[in-house]
Amino acid sequence: MKLKHVVALTSIALAGTFAVSAQAEWKPSGQVNVVVHTGPGGGTDAFGRAILTALEKDKVLENTYIVQNKTGGGSTAAVNYLGEKAGDTNTIAIYSSVWVTDSLVQAEAKSTILDLTPIANLVLEPALFAVKADSPYKTLKDFTDAAKANPGKLKQSGGSVTARDAVVRNVLMKNTGADWAFVSFPSGGERVSALLGGHVDIMMIEPSEAGELIRAGRLRALAQVADARIPGFPDVPTLKEAGFDVPNVPQARGIVGPPNMPADAVKYYEALFAKAAKSEGYTKYLADTQLDNKYMDSKTLGAFIKEYQGNLRTILTGAGVKVVR
Amino acid sequence: MLDGVYGLIHGFSVALQPSVLLWCVVGCFLGTIIGILPGLGPAATIAILLPLTFNMDPTGGIIMLAGIYYGAKYGGSTTSILLNMPGEASSVASCIDGYQMARKGRAGAALGIAAIASFVAGTFGIVILTLLAPPLAEFALRFSSPEFFALMVVGLSLVVLLAGDSKLKSLLSLIVGLWLTSIGTDLFTGQSRFTFGYSELVGGVEFMVIAVGVYAIAEVMSSVAAGEKTQLLPVPRGLRNYLPSREELKACRFAFVNGSIVGFFIGMLPGAASSVSSFVAYGIEKAVSKRKELFGKGAPEGLAAPEGANNADSSGAMLPLLTFGIPAGGSTAIMLSALILWGFRPGPLLIVESPDLFWGLVASMYIGNVVLLIMNLPLVPLFAQILRIPLGLLFPMILGVSIVGAYAVSGNLFDVTSLAFFGVLGYVMVLLGFPTAPLILGFVLGDSMERALRQSLSMSGGDPMILIDRPIAATFLVIALLILLSPLVGRLRRARSDVVTAP
Amino acid sequence: MKRSNLFGGDVISGALLAALGAYITLASDQWTIMAHDGPGPGFFPLIYGVILLVGSLALVLMGLFKGPAPREEPLDWAGIRKALGIWLVFALMIPVMKYFGFLIALAILIFFFLRAIYPWRLVPSIIASVLTPIGFFIIFPTLLHVELPVGAWTGF
Repeated sequence: MKLKHVVALTSIALAGTFAVSAQAEWKPSGQVNVVVHTGPGGGTDAFGRAILTALEKDKVLENTYIVQNKTGGGSTAAVNYLGEKAGDTNTIAIYSSVWVTDSLVQAEAKSTILDLTPIANLVLEPALFAVKADSPYKTLKDFTDAAKANPGKLKQSGGSVTARDAVVRNVLMKNTGADWAFVSFPSGGERVSALLGGHVDIMMIEPSEAGELIRAGRLRALAQVADARIPGFPDVPTLKEAGFDVPNVPQARGIVGPPNMPADAVKYYEALFAKAAKSEGYTKYLADTQLDNKYMDSKTLGAFIKEYQGNLRTILTGAGVKVVR
Repeated sequence: MLDGVYGLIHGFSVALQPSVLLWCVVGCFLGTIIGILPGLGPAATIAILLPLTFNMDPTGGIIMLAGIYYGAKYGGSTTSILLNMPGEASSVASCIDGYQMARKGRAGAALGIAAIASFVAGTFGIVILTLLAPPLAEFALRFSSPEFFALMVVGLSLVVLLAGDSKLKSLLSLIVGLWLTSIGTDLFTGQSRFTFGYSELVGGVEFMVIAVGVYAIAEVMSSVAAGEKTQLLPVPRGLRNYLPSREELKACRFAFVNGSIVGFFIGMLPGAASSVSSFVAYGIEKAVSKRKELFGKGAPEGLAAPEGANNADSSGAMLPLLTFGIPAGGSTAIMLSALILWGFRPGPLLIVESPDLFWGLVASMYIGNVVLLIMNLPLVPLFAQILRIPLGLLFPMILGVSIVGAYAVSGNLFDVTSLAFFGVLGYVMVLLGFPTAPLILGFVLGDSMERALRQSLSMSGGDPMILIDRPIAATFLVIALLILLSPLVGRLRRARSDVVTAP
Repeated sequence: MKRSNLFGGDVISGALLAALGAYITLASDQWTIMAHDGPGPGFFPLIYGVILLVGSLALVLMGLFKGPAPREEPLDWAGIRKALGIWLVFALMIPVMKYFGFLIALAILIFFFLRAIYPWRLVPSIIASVLTPIGFFIIFPTLLHVELPVGAWTGF
């Protein structure tokens, strides 16, 4: 049946443009490895396993897709691993925004995200500024005003200095002239605990992490870091609406391949994830976790990453972080 | 509290349905088997088996997943005891006395004690979880960086108890551990430290690579050197030798309590690795013991305490997950994402809105622990048969499994090279009389300690008073001081009774 | 393992650790030690670097003046050579893995152990060296999807 199909298509192709339809027929054989940069249970790992499971159920995937954790140095180990797989057609990876920042600040990185083959963007991740429910700050402006009045006294819990929450803090401090401390914690759980325990005053948090805590009356959202309000939080203003005229700092996740991935393989995966973006279980998972379904094809993603890295370089340099590239 | 009991009865009615019970048993079994393989810790085991559970109904699936989690925790100690090869980070402390017990021909008893300690501490943790989950979760929130810093000081002070013949050498070993853990990227500034320009070191040295190198590889080297001919360890004979004796169990009485409390308590704090709780439980056990000289030479309580802590830790880690939807570590983070994928909404309202799931899960923990005890005791003689593998085959297999575990971390031969490096380091250290346990302890605690100190000081704007003017932190610092002074007390006591025990 | 002091072992290891301590202390100086809101990345390394330096120098001095500690049993030099030899073979497997893959390296390692250290007859040695890697292949990549090092030349 399958063979017949191929034969039929090939004869059509012979009549017309041979090369194009031959490309359309390329399929990976055997297992496809999906590289993520976090250990089992980490953000991108959980995301990857969840969407692969959803796509498996939706019968979008035609092969076995296995998540491979390549941890170390943020994304550096994963990017280096892909760099060694140049030309491979059975390895893809889920990139996230740290892939873009890490190569800017780590002199040791052998390959950077610009060496990799962009395939498709999947989602944009909105974020919320949240405070404890009994906090005196009702709006983000209350907070920045208080921070301005008491420089260095208020505290934000967050990730590393190059993570988006640190970048947004820098942008906001520059915009308002306020000054508050930033306390780094390696895991999201520790950041939320510090906020819930009242050890810090504010946090930039993923909607999926905050949603239940807000619903249960433990946290309050002040503003959302997104271009438009996300469906789960219709009453929370975006930064612009809250009166902060700052550039949006997006955070994205998507699919990239090793350097020099053959064009027909790129085409295959690009089409696969375009189909995925419309499948039922996948869209439901994104809705449940408040992620913004934002498919981009290979070309758009390539341009997006370049522009994104340029913007981040400017912001990080402005914040006094040493940039090496 | 009564709500808890009613809820639990409801939970048992869910978890004892034949199909759900079956999946719990299957999960425990698979978890144990895969957990035995070094390099595949609980988080990786759950991740590997996750897809299997998606074809079931949500309650059955999550209960099976939980079974895998406890199973993996049980399985981790088997290779520590039999081969001096830690199966996962939290069973490194079990190598110290567990392997020595096996060397004395008590391999079966050691495996039995590990299973019993795991059962007692695991069950204790679940009882606490059933009765006190909400208030304990609130209590855990009072812990922040200053309290963590103090806790890590307690941990580091334990080095005086882990010391071998020379206190100075223990201290130096500890510091090398502190240094090794600084290698990599500094979280606060993004700067790389001590990477010597290697991109492979930007992420730091993997704990399992150090532990497996220093324990397993070095052990293979010294066993070959010692010219051990046919068998690594005596294989126990007769049923009696597969079970712990009454004296051994009696010696473990306090260890069961100690492991239970320490493990649960540290487990419920997000950000404290489970290797911390097992080392702290080991140290406390040694601190209060009247026969410190037996530790490191096969004291059963020196195995029971970390093994118990390791399992109580997994119940403790469920607490923030089930009450706030906050994962305390990698394993619980995978369960969190599975819960979301099944359409549950983990958070403070889970217990109200999905009582079936919540209480079913808690009930399955009781059942899972019983299942694991029943399953593991008969498996003990089976596992002990590993020791029958001829040495010429067993040694290269140990080396091979170590390589697989090291390579799995980042998919890079650099980690295998590091493994070889730490193997020769461990061998030379023992040869020169440097104890290896302080090195591991320094590595486990150093990173968290530095981080907690810097976090505390950024919270206080640089004021060090934050470290001592919070009651919980101050209490811990006093405990640390007592531990540091305890060898002196011991020496005084010994001097008075004038009894010299030569090992 | 038997514990014993190598002649001058304390002096040599102390000197090496002192060098490491000096290196750590110097390296920590490149980073911020203390910033306005708390210690920087150089703070911790500076503290333990200095302790390491002082402690290991004390070890050297003690070794020099006290001489080697009385030994319970003589050092087994033949054993040490054997252990380091085993280690060398293990380390050599890394380049072998790089070009020929893990499975072949494991087969060689097993064959070496069975022929050179624990003499088995040739035929059983060959069988064990072939079957064990196959077992690894079935368990790790096939059943558990755990990757093994793949040889650059062999492709498996």
